[in-house]
Amino acid sequence: MGMEQAWLIPAVPAAAFVVLTLVGKYLPRKGDWVAIGAIAASFILFLFVLVDLLDVVDEPGFVGGEKSWEWVSFGSFEIRLGFFTDEITIVMLAVVSFISLLVQIYSVGYMRGDPRYGWYFAVMSLFSAAMLTLVLADNLLLLYAAWEGVGLGSFLLIGFWWEKQSAAEAAKKAFTTTRIGDVGLLIGILMLWNEAGTFDISEIFEFAEAGGYGTTYLTAAVLFLFAGAAGKSGQFPLHVWLPDAMEGPTPVSALIHAATMVVAGVYLVARMLPLFELADPIALNVVTALGLTTVLISATMGLAATDIKRVIAYSTLNSLGLMMVALGSHSVTAAMFYLFVHAFFKALLFLGAGSVIHATEKQELDELGGLASKMPLTTVTFAVGTLAMIGIIPLSGFWAKDEILHVAEVNQNAGVYALMLLSVFITSLFMTRLFIRTFLFNSRDPESRDHAHDAEPTMTVPLLILAVPAAIGGFVVFSGVGEAMGFPGGFGEFVYLEHAEEFVFHWDIVVLSTVLGVGGMVVGYIFWANQAEPARRMGEMFRPVYNVLYNRYYIDEFYQFVIDRIVLVGSAAISWYDRNIVNDTGVDGSAGLTGFAGWGLKFTSTGKLPNYALAISAGVIILALVFLVVKA
Amino acid sequence: MSYEEGIFYVVAAVTVLGALGVVLSRNVIHSALFLIVSLLAVAGVFILLAAEFLAIVQVLVYGGAVTILILFAMMLTRVRDMPRALTGPQWPLAALAGSMIGGISIAAVLGTEWPGETNEAGQAIEVTVIPIEKIGHDLFTVWAVPFEIASLVLIVALLGAIILARGEEGE
Amino acid sequence: MIPIDNFLVLSSILFGIGMYGVLARRSALLIIMSVELMLQAVSINFVAFALYLHPEAFTGLVFAIFVIVIAAAEVGLALAIVLRLYRNRQTANVDEADSLKW
Repeated sequence: MGMEQAWLIPAVPAAAFVVLTLVGKYLPRKGDWVAIGAIAASFILFLFVLVDLLDVVDEPGFVGGEKSWEWVSFGSFEIRLGFFTDEITIVMLAVVSFISLLVQIYSVGYMRGDPRYGWYFAVMSLFSAAMLTLVLADNLLLLYAAWEGVGLGSFLLIGFWWEKQSAAEAAKKAFTTTRIGDVGLLIGILMLWNEAGTFDISEIFEFAEAGGYGTTYLTAAVLFLFAGAAGKSGQFPLHVWLPDAMEGPTPVSALIHAATMVVAGVYLVARMLPLFELADPIALNVVTALGLTTVLISATMGLAATDIKRVIAYSTLNSLGLMMVALGSHSVTAAMFYLFVHAFFKALLFLGAGSVIHATEKQELDELGGLASKMPLTTVTFAVGTLAMIGIIPLSGFWAKDEILHVAEVNQNAGVYALMLLSVFITSLFMTRLFIRTFLFNSRDPESRDHAHDAEPTMTVPLLILAVPAAIGGFVVFSGVGEAMGFPGGFGEFVYLEHAEEFVFHWDIVVLSTVLGVGGMVVGYIFWANQAEPARRMGEMFRPVYNVLYNRYYIDEFYQFVIDRIVLVGSAAISWYDRNIVNDTGVDGSAGLTGFAGWGLKFTSTGKLPNYALAISAGVIILALVFLVVKA
Repeated sequence: MSYEEGIFYVVAAVTVLGALGVVLSRNVIHSALFLIVSLLAVAGVFILLAAEFLAIVQVLVYGGAVTILILFAMMLTRVRDMPRALTGPQWPLAALAGSMIGGISIAAVLGTEWPGETNEAGQAIEVTVIPIEKIGHDLFTVWAVPFEIASLVLIVALLGAIILARGEEGE
Repeated sequence: MIPIDNFLVLSSILFGIGMYGVLARRSALLIIMSVELMLQAVSINFVAFALYLHPEAFTGLVFAIFVIVIAAAEVGLALAIVLRLYRNRQTANVDEADSLKW
């Protein structure tokens, strides 16, 4: 039982999906145990695969465990169903299976009583299966198929309460926005395939390293791939769907829009980074630029947002931007490390928010507050998550964020580094604001506060479990810790692109980030403590700035304008063409013509014998004439 | 022309005139009588073709049986009581069709090389008269199968005619 | 000997006249009579060919005999049908039997 059987990891939840869809409603408890059992099995299988990988990872020349079957083949064209396990994959498998398991357990409590309870778990299984396939895929076509499957799962789950208009709209928005990116991804994949003749990732790498692609061609292909990544990972300008995706149930937000699906883009770029390295430097510059933009606009929008889940969504965008900047700085290690710890503390934050919502039935920051005494467990775990997000030592987020700052300092220019530091400060600000407004001081709505309480065990236990890696997960960066667990070393010696990176303490970065982080917390406390008077006055003074931030830089309005003026006009023209020309003239017209011909021809059957006899003789005469003339 | 040809032209003329009478006459009974004339003339043509047996059969069957049948049918369908135009509205097209068929056929005939009256040695070919015994003998040996089938056809036609013409019970 | 052409031309003329009769006449009986004319023409053709082209094997003669047989059978049957037609519609005119009209 090892890497050869890695394909079972997605297969089990996929089977669970089928079972739940077909017979879910007849099972006891609508089959939630089927889904949870399946994902638990995936997690256990992952552990086996991990052990097997660790056995061989030190061997020279180890690339990854592989297993593939032929799927479609005609002539020289072949599509394979293949699974590839290497260090990057293992990290992703860990994250996806573990978080998915905890979220599904949490959902038992959160979604209790929902009329479509069974369907929820079915789609959860589908999503998990697709995501696991995505990270295990060894060829781009299978990856793309899983990519689409993940998008479908996300759509179904965001729009889970589709009776609510805003939820249905959000699901549509998510799907359409990521679709735009997906087109780019497909073009990129096809461009790569076109020259290399294969979809297999390792073969494409070999082809590229041998110089098979022209630089411009490769750069273009890689940028198209990044378009897909940008869509799924919410990079500017395709970030607009993620805040709206909060319409879905909170566990969904925790799983999909924090820990797994949105990091698919990061995974893709990380996996394909060798190609990015071979392309023109402008490719990685684009990645960095968009990542950095996302970091800054998300942090600033987070300052003005008022819904608890939205603020956390902006923090997710912020984190994704950071990961992209890390990749743009040529570092797979930093990006994957941040991805790893981020999954834990972000899921923790979302599930904590879910507990708050579940307890108070409220989501607006203006209506929350003072929950610390009523929901101690939730408050403490949420605090851990917040501090990890800000990046306070010794929590996990600190180590990861500092790694990113380090590679940004080394590989990017001073401007990028400065902006990154600025973002640390702003992030600290808005996360502090979030925590204070939700849990501390007096509640603005005493009634809801009064019957707030920590949630039931199915919901609080996952919070506690997640708090542990969120707090101490960062220590895996040390060689000693890594070796003690059976890895070749710390995180940097396990997951890397060219050279193993042993962890080094960079004091200057540590100091800077700590000062900025703590400074942000202090300023945040000043601004938003008690009745948040300073913040209110600030908001009044800079009302226009506040409006821009509150309205998310009016990007949504701009997109809607483009859609209305360009897309819908175009589609109106096309639909006119389809209705009038294709349908009325082409289809109805040819049918009408046939009918008319039939009507006309009916007059030849007069019923009179002499007419028929005449027709027969005419035929004979013509035949005779032909024979006479041709003398055949 | 030899006297044979002369006889031929006479007989042919009678045949054609009789035929024209059949198709052009305005009285049905007259048409039937013209048919008899034509049929008998054709018997004459058969004699000219040295098929005497056939001529006799022609006279017996056609002249005797078929025309009587037709006259009976005329009687039973009261054809005399319904004086109406006997030629339908499409007669111009019919004339065209008939003349075209005839024309094409004649053109084909005249355009073909038929074996002449003299054989290779230069002597006139004698007309071969087939003795009746030979016809009878071959009819029952070489042509036995068509013969039997023909008798079957006759039986079926007989039965069919009886059933068709008999009508419903109680009529 | 009479040239074969004569007989064949005669047969063609007879056939043409018969065809006219079939197509132009309205009474079913007249149509049947015209069909007889056409059959006569065909018989003359057969016998002429038998005599002039293959006198030893008198196939055409036998054919003509069979034509007469079949013609007789056919006339009998056809007249029975005409009687039926007359009984059902009180008319022997083929023009008026047009229930298969559109």
